[in-house]
Amino acid sequence: MPKRKLDPLPSAAFQILLSLAEEDLHGYGIMRQVAEQTDGRMRLGPGTLYSSIQSLLEEKFIEELDPREDVKQSEERRRYYRLTAAGRKLARSEADRLAGLLRVARSRKILRGDYV
Amino acid sequence: MSEKIYALLLRLFPPSFRETYREEALLLFRDRSRDEKGLSSRVRLWFDLLADLTISVPREYFYAEPELLAASGQRFGGKPSFYFMGDESPRPGALLLGGMLSLAALFTFSSLLSQGGRHRPRSSSARQLQRGAVPSASASKRPSRQATGDRKSQSDGENETLASTTGQSTIPASPFTPAKGKSPSDAILLHEPSLSGQPSSSGQRDTASPTLPSQGDAATTVATAVGHGNLDSAERQRVLDAAISNLKRHYVYPGVAEKIADTLLAQGKRGEYDAITDGDAFAHQLTKQMRDVSHDMHLELVYSQDPLPPQPTEQTAEGLARYRKAMKQENCTFERVEILPRNIGYLKLNLFPDRSVCEQTATTAMASLNRADALIVDLRDNRGGMPDMVALMASYLFDHPEYFYNPRENTTQESWTHSPVPGNKLADKPVYVLTSSRTFSGAEQFCYDLKMLKRITLVGETTGGGAHSGVWYRIDDHFGMGIPETKPINPYSTPDWEGTGVEPDVKVKPADALSTAVKLAQTKLQKK
Repeated sequence: MPKRKLDPLPSAAFQILLSLAEEDLHGYGIMRQVAEQTDGRMRLGPGTLYSSIQSLLEEKFIEELDPREDVKQSEERRRYYRLTAAGRKLARSEADRLAGLLRVARSRKILRGDYV
Repeated sequence: MSEKIYALLLRLFPPSFRETYREEALLLFRDRSRDEKGLSSRVRLWFDLLADLTISVPREYFYAEPELLAASGQRFGGKPSFYFMGDESPRPGALLLGGMLSLAALFTFSSLLSQGGRHRPRSSSARQLQRGAVPSASASKRPSRQATGDRKSQSDGENETLASTTGQSTIPASPFTPAKGKSPSDAILLHEPSLSGQPSSSGQRDTASPTLPSQGDAATTVATAVGHGNLDSAERQRVLDAAISNLKRHYVYPGVAEKIADTLLAQGKRGEYDAITDGDAFAHQLTKQMRDVSHDMHLELVYSQDPLPPQPTEQTAEGLARYRKAMKQENCTFERVEILPRNIGYLKLNLFPDRSVCEQTATTAMASLNRADALIVDLRDNRGGMPDMVALMASYLFDHPEYFYNPRENTTQESWTHSPVPGNKLADKPVYVLTSSRTFSGAEQFCYDLKMLKRITLVGETTGGGAHSGVWYRIDDHFGMGIPETKPINPYSTPDWEGTGVEPDVKVKPADALSTAVKLAQTKLQKK
């Protein structure tokens, strides 16, 4: 089975990494977090979401948490995901790359503004 | 419900992905459905899901089965190579699903193909609403045959049209046929039990008034041209009103007409027609409902995309000439006339064509069978025809005039056979008539009456079941309807064949009917 490609990092995968930066989330939580942080522009469908999660898992950029002990009996067992150190590093380097791009864009007067 | 649909859709993913994430994906779906209420959110949800499926299913297969994409590109020594995608053979369930999907696709494709000729581009320019002229009562009672201009009719505008399953190219097209994408011959396959969209009504013999166009009472005609398919509610209402008015005025059973009217009005009030903007669909819907109430297959509302002739067209010499030519080419649909072994006469007749055109052919055919010891009349492909030809053919089977009941006509002097036919020797010979479910209309009259008179042995299938015929009423440029007007008294206790067909005496598959009849005839002749 070929490795899923994460280089260049697809934007969906990057968004997932970002969404997990502050807290551990389950699939739907990730989806909502991504929607929130993109102002609703990116709504990850299950296929894309779990495909990206799968590739991030394979590369160990995120990890699946052991089933929580504290879940209520009635609640379905959800899988929670956590950003690994490698994942955090990857997200940071992607952010740097984008920041570099931004600088170029700004220097070409395509984008105005002075932050980042 | 929607979750089930989504669960089914998830099956599109490769098994490895499904095993791991199916539950999660369903959970996510559930979460979103719970949180995103309202129509627009729902639509967005499904849009997301479908877009997501479109993108991620192929991708997952690529991960799961890289050969899928790689194989197509690979060749060995210039020859394409073939791969097995998996090591195990497919599950039976998968094979079954695949088979069913293929069948469904095949069915869809073929039905789309068969629809091909039916739909034409619609032009709104054809829409001419002359609302000022609504409604004007004008005479439009006439046989559909005249409406279609197919042929001239007898002076009394009588029953039945001519059908030929083979003479399609030669029988002139009727205004109905192009709109229907049907062959012209379909136009004259009268009383087709299916919703063929053709005017089931052929003309009705109306002895009192030979020239039909001049009948003043006639139908309520709406002088509105309905644009191609773009029915609006006003137009629908107009057609509905006209249909109801025609029914009440002309249908042979006033009580049933009332019932139909109530049903149609109720449906209209409930807004069941509101969504129908296609004329054809509207006509089919009304036809279906009229038939549901009445069980009368001759009640029919017809939509024609091409404008119907504004007035009943007079029979033209040209039309008659074309009909003559078509019949000549078809040998008046006397397809086979021969003597089988053991001197059994065999006649295959596919229509009962107009006597004025085909009497000579009929006489010749019957003369060549005259010396047979038994006769087999094959009506398995006979779609009906003219009652006077039916009576003429039956005349050979009697040595005295017999009353020949025709459920479409009131009794006239024409209702009797012309027996005895001079020189005829067939009057006392055993006769077997072969039928199928395609045997229809006038051919059924032949079967029914001769069966009631105990003159023949029917071999084959129960016939199609089209007895009553209607009169054609034009509603407007695009709509018309067939309404049965008369209900003559049946001299026999067995009800006529309307809706039920004529039961054979010997029930066999149509394909076996001839051999069965031959055997019966041989046995009978041996006993002699």
